[in-house]
Amino acid sequence: MQKQELKQGIKDSIPIILGYLPLGFAFGVLANDVGMSIVQATMMSVLCFTGAGQYIALGIMQAGGAVFTIILANVLVNLRYLLFSTSLVPYLKGRVPTAVGSLLSYGLTDETYAVSMNRYQNHLPTASYIAGLNLSSHIGWITSTLLGAILGNYIGDTDRLGLNFTLPAMYICLLVFMIKRKSDVFVALSSALLCLLIGYLVPATMENLFNIIIATIIAASLGMLINERN
Amino acid sequence: MSETSIWIMIAGVSLVSILPRILPVALFSHYEFPEPLKRWLSFVAPAVLGALAALSVLAPDGNIYISFHNRYIWVFIPTLLVAIKTRSLFYSLLVGIVTMALLYNFM
Repeated sequence: MQKQELKQGIKDSIPIILGYLPLGFAFGVLANDVGMSIVQATMMSVLCFTGAGQYIALGIMQAGGAVFTIILANVLVNLRYLLFSTSLVPYLKGRVPTAVGSLLSYGLTDETYAVSMNRYQNHLPTASYIAGLNLSSHIGWITSTLLGAILGNYIGDTDRLGLNFTLPAMYICLLVFMIKRKSDVFVALSSALLCLLIGYLVPATMENLFNIIIATIIAASLGMLINERN
Repeated sequence: MSETSIWIMIAGVSLVSILPRILPVALFSHYEFPEPLKRWLSFVAPAVLGALAALSVLAPDGNIYISFHNRYIWVFIPTLLVAIKTRSLFYSLLVGIVTMALLYNFM
């Protein structure tokens, strides 16, 4: 266990936790509304840790949908992690033991992925860093769910604090950091455009986030083509 | 939904959300990816971030919302400028959050 790395991971999780706060809180409140107990709402955040997937579950529950439908929708929503996780493999290989790396990948989310990929551009990955980042982010998610489920209706509109812009700001900033090559700009812009276009043409993909997967696959392939030509 | 159904639902969602994150690291770590695949994977992060940034600003509530009334678009501008100028996550978040709070409360 490298203390410095662990600390850095925890430090890097602070903006993520800030962003999760309103989201986890809102999940706790809504879960209560659709009939989940405080324990169930909190356990869902412990066991699933999938913001989009958990919100979809609530939506389907509210609409009177079946358990099977919720699970199927979550298969689709979480497929993008196959891509994220695979793209981490070349970094982790030989540096983080496979068993430890797999276990810690439990805490892989859009946000922890963005932050750790950014870190690996200049630093070697370590199990301690991933543990610090992923576990504290997860604890933040669980805690904000619990708070939402308990306090739910006592606290009014959290939007006025501006925290709803935390995650967008994080994506924007990490994207700026991530851009090294000219082709990266092209890939990011075309992925953004494709993702919106697909979402517009096939609205269902806005729900299951397939637009992210398809846009990423096409944009990354375009990036390779361009790089090859130059 | 009954108490039992909710627990079954949670267990099911847990399984399908954890497997896609763990399996690639667990299975592929023993293989050396071919060079072209590695190059392709190096574009996944910028592509994912581009998509996430676009969605979080232009579809903040899950529906595409491109309009003068979408505050996220207005807040995006100073946040991007600060990110490029300072290259600091802290200042970018600060400017983003404060601008959003100001717009929300006073506009």
